[in-house]
Amino acid sequence: MSLVLDSIKINLGTVQLFKPLSLTAPPGSIVTIMGPSGCGKSTLLASICGMLDPGFSFSGAITLNGRPLNGVEMEHRKVGILFQDDLLFPHLDVFGNMAFGLPARMSRRQKRERVNNSLAAAGLEGFGPRDIATLSGGQKARVSLLRALLAEPEAILLDEPFSKLDENLRGSIKQFVFDQIGFMNIPALMVTHERSDSADGTYIELK
Amino acid sequence: MAYCPKRLLSIVIVILTIMLNLAPALARDWPQIIAAARGQTVYFNGWGGSEVINRYISWAAGQVNQRYGITVKHVKVADIGDVVSRILAEKSGGRTSGGSVDLMWINGENFHAMKDNGLLLPPYTQMFPNYRLVDTENKVSTLFDFTVPVDNQESPWGMAQLVFLYDSEVVNDPPSTMAELLEFCKDHKGRFSYPAPPDFYGTTFIKQALLELTGERTLLYKPVDIGKFDQVTAPLWVFLDALHPHLWRGGKAQPKSAPEMKRLLADREIFISLSFNPAEASNAIATGELPESIRTYVHEGGTIGNTHFLAIPFNSSAQEGAMVLADFLLSPEAQARKSDPSIWGDPTVLALAKLSPEQRTLFDTIPLGVATLSPEELGPVILEPHASWVTAIEKEWLRRYSK
Amino acid sequence: MSGRRNRLKIFPALTLAVFLLPILVGLLFTWAPAFGYLSAAGSNRFSLEPFATLLHHPSLPGALRSTFISGIGASLMSLGLALWIATTLYGSRLWSTIELSLAPLLSLPHAAFAIGFSFLIAPSGWLIRSVSPFPSGFTYPPDWTTNGDPWAISLTLTMLFKETPFLLLMIFSGLSRLDVRRTIWVGRSLGYHRLRIWTRLIIPQLYPMLRLPLLAVLAYSLSVVDLAYIIGPSLPPTLAVLIDRWFHDPDISSRFVGAAGALLLLLVTLACIGSALVLEYLISKIASRKILDGRRKSPFELLVGSGSFYALILLGVNVLSLTALMLWSVAHSWRFPHFLPARFSFSNWSAALSHLLEPVSVSALAAFLSCLLAIILVVGCFENEQNLARSRIDSISQRSLWIIYLPLLIPQISFLFGIQVLLIIFNLEGSWGTLIWIHLVFVLPYVFLTLANTYRSYDQRYSYVGTSLGARPVRSFFRVKLIMLTKPILFSMAVGFGVSIAQYLPTLYVGAGRFATITTETVSLASGSDRRVMAVYALSQFLLALTGFLTAIVLPAIMFRNRRAMQN
Repeated sequence: MSLVLDSIKINLGTVQLFKPLSLTAPPGSIVTIMGPSGCGKSTLLASICGMLDPGFSFSGAITLNGRPLNGVEMEHRKVGILFQDDLLFPHLDVFGNMAFGLPARMSRRQKRERVNNSLAAAGLEGFGPRDIATLSGGQKARVSLLRALLAEPEAILLDEPFSKLDENLRGSIKQFVFDQIGFMNIPALMVTHERSDSADGTYIELK
Repeated sequence: MAYCPKRLLSIVIVILTIMLNLAPALARDWPQIIAAARGQTVYFNGWGGSEVINRYISWAAGQVNQRYGITVKHVKVADIGDVVSRILAEKSGGRTSGGSVDLMWINGENFHAMKDNGLLLPPYTQMFPNYRLVDTENKVSTLFDFTVPVDNQESPWGMAQLVFLYDSEVVNDPPSTMAELLEFCKDHKGRFSYPAPPDFYGTTFIKQALLELTGERTLLYKPVDIGKFDQVTAPLWVFLDALHPHLWRGGKAQPKSAPEMKRLLADREIFISLSFNPAEASNAIATGELPESIRTYVHEGGTIGNTHFLAIPFNSSAQEGAMVLADFLLSPEAQARKSDPSIWGDPTVLALAKLSPEQRTLFDTIPLGVATLSPEELGPVILEPHASWVTAIEKEWLRRYSK
Repeated sequence: MSGRRNRLKIFPALTLAVFLLPILVGLLFTWAPAFGYLSAAGSNRFSLEPFATLLHHPSLPGALRSTFISGIGASLMSLGLALWIATTLYGSRLWSTIELSLAPLLSLPHAAFAIGFSFLIAPSGWLIRSVSPFPSGFTYPPDWTTNGDPWAISLTLTMLFKETPFLLLMIFSGLSRLDVRRTIWVGRSLGYHRLRIWTRLIIPQLYPMLRLPLLAVLAYSLSVVDLAYIIGPSLPPTLAVLIDRWFHDPDISSRFVGAAGALLLLLVTLACIGSALVLEYLISKIASRKILDGRRKSPFELLVGSGSFYALILLGVNVLSLTALMLWSVAHSWRFPHFLPARFSFSNWSAALSHLLEPVSVSALAAFLSCLLAIILVVGCFENEQNLARSRIDSISQRSLWIIYLPLLIPQISFLFGIQVLLIIFNLEGSWGTLIWIHLVFVLPYVFLTLANTYRSYDQRYSYVGTSLGARPVRSFFRVKLIMLTKPILFSMAVGFGVSIAQYLPTLYVGAGRFATITTETVSLASGSDRRVMAVYALSQFLLALTGFLTAIVLPAIMFRNRRAMQN
């Protein structure tokens, strides 16, 4: 049930972004990857997702739950992503955003039930019909994570997820995210440049 | 077989000429007009679709500037109807002087409308020195524009006669009547067409067909008799109904103008086209627009002819300048140059008999052009029928074919 | 700050004054003859006879049919094609190529393209010539109906190839306000494939920014006159051409019918615009249920590869039409079935050069002044908008700015005649002031549309920094904001420049024959027969418009040659 990276190397032209990276992310825990700006943290995440820009060259192996991800289309990798911007879809309400990630085999009623349960468990009871624009920063961050998790990914990537949040919110959102990931029991990889954001899992510096 | 009411019209002409000379003319003589014209800017509004014509006007503008100190601005329009609309708008807006148009190039249909609505300057061409050289005896259309009396309110500029252009490379024996034209179209499907009315050329083709085919020509020169309309025009519709399926594109689309037909002829999409300028083919061959195999022909019995004119609107701001320009364009020198196929080729309105020997040599030395018919070959000119018939025929044509 | 707030208020008010009054009065005066009032013809009795004549005219049903087919067909197809190209090609190299080619594509005037395209597809045209006489066996052109067909298909295609680049420009502009890359990322991470991501996530956010441009395209396609003359049907022509003909008719009484027709055309346009809005509403209602059905892959996903095919056709047809014009301009004779001119000659250009000088300078000056005025008004309105948003003040004049789009949505032929009469009454016609003004009426909406997204997404913090460093707000505006927005501002000015150059009816009606622009000359030549000189003038139009775009690209490149961050 783990996410395994083996000797990942990313080159932009002739420049190698970081030393070959290998790690294992066990389920339910968060591996924090730290590094200064511009060292390739977001690019690493892009490569794991399958979203690497054509200008980059990639070598190494990625395995998720025993499944090799190399060469697999992004739509089929089942790797979720959370950005620092909530990237909620403004033309859908909260229910719409969250239901978007649910599988087709569920009926509309089942979807509604699922979303409402999820919202209630996160302290956002009754938020289903709300317009995205009316949510506060913290609420948006929570909905954004719930959307990613509702799609039942096998792993989740976090790209500096707390950097745009207010100081006082950061603590509670951090805890919420870590709790949810622990509850879903999937491996998570977080990149950040903020030491205080790190979780209690493995901690790696990117050089 | 020429049929034109020459005798009757000559008498009418004489009476009119006497009347006009007795009518109070503008209280000025020609030297005063020339003096007043100096320094004026004349806005000449005319169709600008032909570079050949535009260059001729450019030359005339230069001459008039040199000789009389008049500045001529050629306002090139796509359709002279735009200009009529503008003058109409000026009249609506109460602009009785200082109008934007000083001289305009028009034909019978526009003249009729402008005269009826009081958009023209009161009679003045009788004052032009060159007007007495106009062939009013033989070229009756200079006095009666579509059977509407000109009354010296427009200055004749050139003669027009319907001629057909054909590609001698493919057509050995061009048709000489409408019936033969129908046979030609059956043999060469899709190689002839005519512009859709209300285009002026298209309407004239239909008038020509009607004049050739109807049994009651005299009625066409009187105001339209609705009761007899069907009877008089029946042969025309029979002919067109038979013709249309063999036309270019099966008659489903028709060229929008004569210039488009000229293009189609050059592109070889059609083999026969039409024109109002007997020297057009020669001129186009000289400029490279048409291939060298193009020749001209007419129908036996004559084809419709008319005159095109220059008119001065009632509210022109440079009347004297416009008059001087119009008179210059009527001069033997300008008319001779205009009729040269290598320049333009438009036939003259002047009577060669009225010219002095030196003036006549200007015309004699002009080459006819490889594709131009001589005056004898051109045959007689059939006069335009009464304008009210034209309106009625156009309406019926639209009803039948433009749905 | 309050002083500045008050001063900016004049911008929306001024902008509205430029538009509202003249358009309303223009409409009124154009319609008066429809009800029997035309003082020049001595008629001032109320009458519905013009409408009766109009509705019984034999050509009306056919004209309406081809108007609907070409107008609605071209608009819908352009929108579909533009969205399909964006969906399938976003992020690829071809997408960047398309972005670069937009400037020359937009510079090619509609009429010039129509002349070239008509030659391309004619039975005696370039495409057939390329296979004649071998292997087609044609020594003479076949009697096919390609251009000028009675169902207006060729007219529809002509408009399709010209409108799609404009909509693509609007799409580029709109996408810049969305975070497309990461939206695609999120969508794909949720398992959605390309088509569904676009149709369910991106296009619903994009469409509101395309709504107005699409309606402008719709109104234009329904009322275009010069394109319909060149390549439209003849038996009968489109409604706009009929109206134009009635206004020109030697028989003065036709103008009453023409005015009635202009009113009918306006109603038809409004009905189509209304239908488009209703359709949008219905689609969004239906879509809102389907969006959440969770199906990740569309059955059309297989067709995604066709995007590059269509894009290449779009580019190719434009390039070929332009090339055809260039060849005609240097041809002496070029007959069927020759693939290239048999004899070349530069005399077409050398003879025209001296005559081109005046129209080109008139066009250039009018275009430059109108796009300059437009940008000043537009920027002023945007600044006022942002000021008001900051202070949370509502302003009627700011909110009513949608009126500036009226000239795009109302057929030109439906109100220009009235404006002509109005100007004559006040002795204003034929002057430079009125010419610039009428061009401004049409240029301003396009400048507004083109600049809106980029201007509004400008990060105000740059200006705050400027102010915090001691500069007064006005100084910070000129030296920080305007400089940073140089590229988009110049580009939208170039669009406005091109729009002004292409104006025909406005120059004709308002200019009273005093202004010969490159476009009036080209259209007058297009009514003639000589393709060679037509091509020379059409290319001059093109080069003039292209100069505007090149300036908009080269000037910032020079200004910011040492600033890589400004090279985006």
